[in-house]
Amino acid sequence: MDRYLTVDRGACAGHGLCYGAAPEIVDCDDQGDPIILVEPVPEALLGQAEHVVDICPERALALQESLQASPSA
Amino acid sequence: MPTTRADVRPDLVVDFDIYDPALTMPVDRMQERTAELAKVGPIVWSPAYAGHWLVTAYDEVHEILRDPATFSSYPNNLVDAGQGKFLPIELDPPEHTSYRQALQPLFNPTRMRALEPRIRELVVELIEKFQGAGKVEFVEQFAHELPTTVFLALMGWPLEDAPMFTEATEIAMNGKPGDTPEQAVASRTEAAMQMFGYFMQVIHARRAAAEAGEELDDITTAVMHTRIKDAEGVERDLTDDELARMFFLLLIAGLHTVQGTLCWMMLHLSTNTDQRDAVIADADAIPAAVEEVLRYEAQVAMGRRAVRDVEIGGVTIKADDQLLLLLCSANRDDSQFADPQSLRVDRTPNRHLSFGSGPHRCIGSHLARVELRIAMEEIHKRIPDYRSDPEDPAVVLPSQVRGFARLPLLFTPVTPS
Repeated sequence: MDRYLTVDRGACAGHGLCYGAAPEIVDCDDQGDPIILVEPVPEALLGQAEHVVDICPERALALQESLQASPSA
Repeated sequence: MPTTRADVRPDLVVDFDIYDPALTMPVDRMQERTAELAKVGPIVWSPAYAGHWLVTAYDEVHEILRDPATFSSYPNNLVDAGQGKFLPIELDPPEHTSYRQALQPLFNPTRMRALEPRIRELVVELIEKFQGAGKVEFVEQFAHELPTTVFLALMGWPLEDAPMFTEATEIAMNGKPGDTPEQAVASRTEAAMQMFGYFMQVIHARRAAAEAGEELDDITTAVMHTRIKDAEGVERDLTDDELARMFFLLLIAGLHTVQGTLCWMMLHLSTNTDQRDAVIADADAIPAAVEEVLRYEAQVAMGRRAVRDVEIGGVTIKADDQLLLLLCSANRDDSQFADPQSLRVDRTPNRHLSFGSGPHRCIGSHLARVELRIAMEEIHKRIPDYRSDPEDPAVVLPSQVRGFARLPLLFTPVTPS
């Protein structure tokens, strides 16, 4: 089953811990907001994706089964 | 009518003034004291400064920071230097938003990471100046120098002006040592005026240079080109006065905070040697260790003011009530952090609030992290056995941005390579 990392843009405050911890999965734009680099998240990076979901101070990241279910969609 | 002491449940009234020198001198007791307040309640009342609420708990601090429509960020300070609003930290959305969007790219993570080689060179140069001596007054020779030099290079301001505005910003925030409260007001105002005079000179010199076709490529120029949308949505340039108030904020926010965190890093790792050993043994542990030092001693206590009546943390906050958010206490809330009084450099998750949250979250956080990480790496490669000097203890200053005046350290001397 594919898993997608999603960002709730309303909750994100740009702390930047996600792209600091997992640069292979998350990059940032000019405003310091996260950009998800891999859709879906490859199996080998799922552990890292779970980690960034866990560390987000705003709980703005989620691992979901489809992009459609994302709060940011 | 705003809240008065008579309206507050007596058990929630506490004796606390964040500017009281007795909180940090002769020994820093800020964490101990704010932990006592947190035991009283998530939100308690201090009669100081005509009365204000002190928010001690993580969830309430977080909620307030994320709700600018209810909690205005003006005034941010319980006392001021008559400088007017600090920009853009004392503006609320939507007025705040265009400032933020213009400033944020100047300090974004990609740009800040690109500074790493220059910052590392500077860090090594500073350490090599004192590593042969076996002792150092760490504030003067490192913690102050590093952020000041980096900041001045980014702004394009002369390094030789640093002592003047270091002193002036210190006085603008804390008054002069030994001032009575009345004298402190006068000292603060005078220091702020001095800074404004300096900024006006910078602004005029830059305008003249631009007219002569000699514009510099730095953050001062970028800020001066910022176009903002005012409350009516009309786009315009910033006035000289607004530019000065923005430069003043960047200066205070950029220097004092990193200086303090560097000192806390040394103080706490020197007394938690197992944690320091972990950092020495594995440089990959350093990014998480930086976050833990940030959590352990948040510098800032920001103010907010309620724009309407609101129920939160078991109390009723009324319109126009002033609040003070104690990040140092929120960061040690045991509902959010396991064993919060322990420094654990591998702590994860570590959702600390030292950079704030919501629309005003620290714009310089990505720069701060680069400076702190490189300092932690190079210090532990070179003088790993530092300890405080028992004959010459640290001097910590209170205020809404708590910081160090002195931090004398001893260590085994190392011959510079």
